[in-house]
Amino acid sequence: MGGELGSLVASLLEREPWVGALSGIDVDPPRRRLRRAEFHRIEPSNRERIVDVVTAFDPHVLIHLAVWEPDARAGTAHAKQFTSDATTAMLGAAAECPSLESIVVRSGIEIYGRNRHSLTRPDETVAPDPTSEYGRMVERIETIAEAVAQRIGVAVGALRLAPVLGPHVPSPLGRLLRQPVVPFSILADPPFAVVEDADAARAFVAAAHRRLTQPINVVAPGAVTGLQAIMRGKRVPLPLVGPEWTIARRLSHVVGAPIPEHVMELLHRGRLADGNRAAEVLGVSPARSTPEVVDRLFAWESVVRITKPQAPASVEVVA
Amino acid sequence: MAQLFELPRRAVETTATAVTTPFRPFLPDHTVDEWGRDDHLVRVLWPLARLRWNVSVGGLDHLPARVGALLVTNERRFSFSPLYVAGALSSATGRPVRFVGRGDHAPFGAALRRVGALLDNPTEVHGALRHGELVVMATAATTHPRHAGTVDHELVGAAVTAGVAVIPVASMSSPFNRTARAEVGPPVRLRKKRRGPLAEIELAEATQRHLQRILDELGGVQTGVVAIDWLGEG
Repeated sequence: MGGELGSLVASLLEREPWVGALSGIDVDPPRRRLRRAEFHRIEPSNRERIVDVVTAFDPHVLIHLAVWEPDARAGTAHAKQFTSDATTAMLGAAAECPSLESIVVRSGIEIYGRNRHSLTRPDETVAPDPTSEYGRMVERIETIAEAVAQRIGVAVGALRLAPVLGPHVPSPLGRLLRQPVVPFSILADPPFAVVEDADAARAFVAAAHRRLTQPINVVAPGAVTGLQAIMRGKRVPLPLVGPEWTIARRLSHVVGAPIPEHVMELLHRGRLADGNRAAEVLGVSPARSTPEVVDRLFAWESVVRITKPQAPASVEVVA
Repeated sequence: MAQLFELPRRAVETTATAVTTPFRPFLPDHTVDEWGRDDHLVRVLWPLARLRWNVSVGGLDHLPARVGALLVTNERRFSFSPLYVAGALSSATGRPVRFVGRGDHAPFGAALRRVGALLDNPTEVHGALRHGELVVMATAATTHPRHAGTVDHELVGAAVTAGVAVIPVASMSSPFNRTARAEVGPPVRLRKKRRGPLAEIELAEATQRHLQRILDELGGVQTGVVAIDWLGEG
């Protein structure tokens, strides 16, 4: 609930008439003003406290969003550790809740992997075959959630999100694309799709409401290639062929935009998925297309200056 | 105290504009679709492809207007018939027409994806057909221009499970001149309904027979010079 996506989901859930009490756990405080939700600031490694809070609350629906994308808020090793800790604690605690009916977990289309001859646009029926650390992380979350759900007899659904971009969303892809000079693979320049955080949040609310029982891809319609995204953002494209990517990655890390394995994979092998089932299963589909999301990425202000408010010249009193 | 460095946005944009301006007409920033096909690139390349293949198209009324279909075309070795059939049908119908048979290695696989190629994988073809795409697949390559090779029943199975029509498209081109022909036949239907895997096997065989019949009706290449026509047969 502390991350941008978690806060967004919580604020949308607060407006839903079918939602009674709402409780959230995160290591960071919420980024939005929440009126009804109760927030607990707990480290993902503090399993005992997480179990206490979750079992005391005894939810009907558990939405597990605690996924640390590598190089978004933490490096790959830390991201893996935090995600693993949070998954074990949250899903383990969920299994102890007698009223639980449904679990919805966050996953990613990185789960399909981009091996040679892997499908251009996999749908939900394609078996997971992750080829990046992030893909393996989300695969593990889905596996654990399914095992827990089977054991206690509740529904489990996974939302496989395309790379999430949006204002304030920490994303290694978004950060890289906003650099003044952006590398791209001149030999491949494959297409990829993304999804906006608001659309992803709506999908989670719908999944919780409908008690989702299967994995669903959440992907904005349309696609762009790396070069097209760079040109839309009026950045300087840097064509790379192969070995110089190592140097480019190091340089990018130094200037504050590390390029993790799954983003490298996206830039070299593309990342598309078939998101058509979301509309029929969830009843919602992403409102913004991939090119629109990319355009909005470049439209954000780099620095928002908050000026000191001017004192009013006169004070009016209305009775 | 932290020091805030702001990106010189205008300078970056000016540089980017200066760098990309010469390439902008060739690299539009919004034309790639959900399968990676670049419509702009296809429109740019098709006139160049017409320098090699001047394709006359017949039987367009057999193609569905909106839903997907699997189009099966014959292929003489090294004739690249799926490429020019897909290009000609796309140009004639105004719909993107994809074709099966790209590798997955850059730069050739990536380049073929940009002109509409799909992997030679039944699941990939099924996904495209289910979403209403027209997909061209080739029969097994032959050495004779008027022989239809065997049809891959696994790819036909993708059409069966997607519930779309399988349509034969006879293609013919000459290695010596630009003349090429793509004749779309009526959708192939089986007399006997099958529920199991026999459906795709029998449909693949029937498609090969239909294709052969259309090729026989088309006759050979006629340039007016008997010797060249005879060479074109091989």
